[in-house]
Amino acid sequence: MSDAPLTPHQEDQALAGEYVVGLLALPDRIAAEARIKADPAFADLVANWETRLEDLNDDYDEVQPPNLLPAIEARLFPQAAAVRKSWFTGLMGLGLGTVAALGLAAFLLLSPPSPTMTATLTADASPLRYEAAIAGTELTITRVAGDAANANQVHQLWLIAGDNAPVSLGLITGNTLTIAAPAAAAGFVLAISLEPAGGSTTGAPTGPVLVVGKLAKI
Amino acid sequence: MIDDPIASLLSLITAQDRAAFKTLYNASSAKLMGVLLRMLGNRSEAEDALQEVFTRVWLRAGRFDASKGRGMTWLIAIARNLAIDRIRSRHDTVDDEDAIAAVVDTAPRAESKLIAQGEARRITDCFATLEPDRAEALRGAYLTGLSYIDLAARHAVPLNTMRTWLRRSLTKLKECMEL
Repeated sequence: MSDAPLTPHQEDQALAGEYVVGLLALPDRIAAEARIKADPAFADLVANWETRLEDLNDDYDEVQPPNLLPAIEARLFPQAAAVRKSWFTGLMGLGLGTVAALGLAAFLLLSPPSPTMTATLTADASPLRYEAAIAGTELTITRVAGDAANANQVHQLWLIAGDNAPVSLGLITGNTLTIAAPAAAAGFVLAISLEPAGGSTTGAPTGPVLVVGKLAKI
Repeated sequence: MIDDPIASLLSLITAQDRAAFKTLYNASSAKLMGVLLRMLGNRSEAEDALQEVFTRVWLRAGRFDASKGRGMTWLIAIARNLAIDRIRSRHDTVDDEDAIAAVVDTAPRAESKLIAQGEARRITDCFATLEPDRAEALRGAYLTGLSYIDLAARHAVPLNTMRTWLRRSLTKLKECMEL
């Protein structure tokens, strides 16, 4: 067989094929995944390889798993059901985000300086985990496990004080978000919901609540 | 897309349709469990991965593009990619005897089954244009998640040689299939 060097296009084709077959070592694989996200032409090469090789999938036998759907649903549509109910009842009379923002402003003025606190945001059986810390005048929240939202969606951070409506603290577009610390007390809840890119347009969470955690003093 | 019920379900799931998600689970979980069990080789790990796969399906359904492929192919790609990531994370070493045994196990079956089905003859024909040990290495890697490192050890050739062989084989395969 001829062993002429591959052209650059053939190189890309081969790399896409290597990725789909699963030949790459982890660092190369991570690099290829980054390229899939950033380079639509390369992503198309990958999709073509998936189709080209799909008949090999016939070789995978079906194996009936136990019914994992309840566990999956609990992961995606979490315990926050209970939390959400109180959010919604609180929201009924309030309406839009501007009202919620005013609420936060009033709250900031009335509240004493906040102590240093942390929260771990999780949900049962979900791989997603955020760690939040209030230090001095800043709140920093960092995703420490699980995936970021996909391209059309975003993780939105909310603060819930007791039975009050959730107040948006911002959108987490990277791994971490640092904002001016809201005045908050131990027991207040931080929650992350999944929202369309750009964030909720209603001022209240619209997507599933992914993880929640209570602030606690260190 | 003609007659791709999985693709239709994915588009409903993009609109947060939980009933469609349940239907999709019932229609595809056994196949995806088969993929994960074959690749991960361990039932409890496969079950854990299956939950993660469906979590990703719910969160990523909006990325599926029916003009670029079939729904089931997309689902299997998610399952395979997750399994490969887990395999790579737990070891990039050569001493994975179970995986190597699994490869030995796979070879003849894929081909005979594909021929029997007729519809897949093109990939079989194209695999037949490759040197047999290279076709075998590619197929084993696809089905069980072996890496270049694993394959080089199994075929007792340097890593770079294995990589050169399989990159050229992929190029040939693509030309043969003209896709």
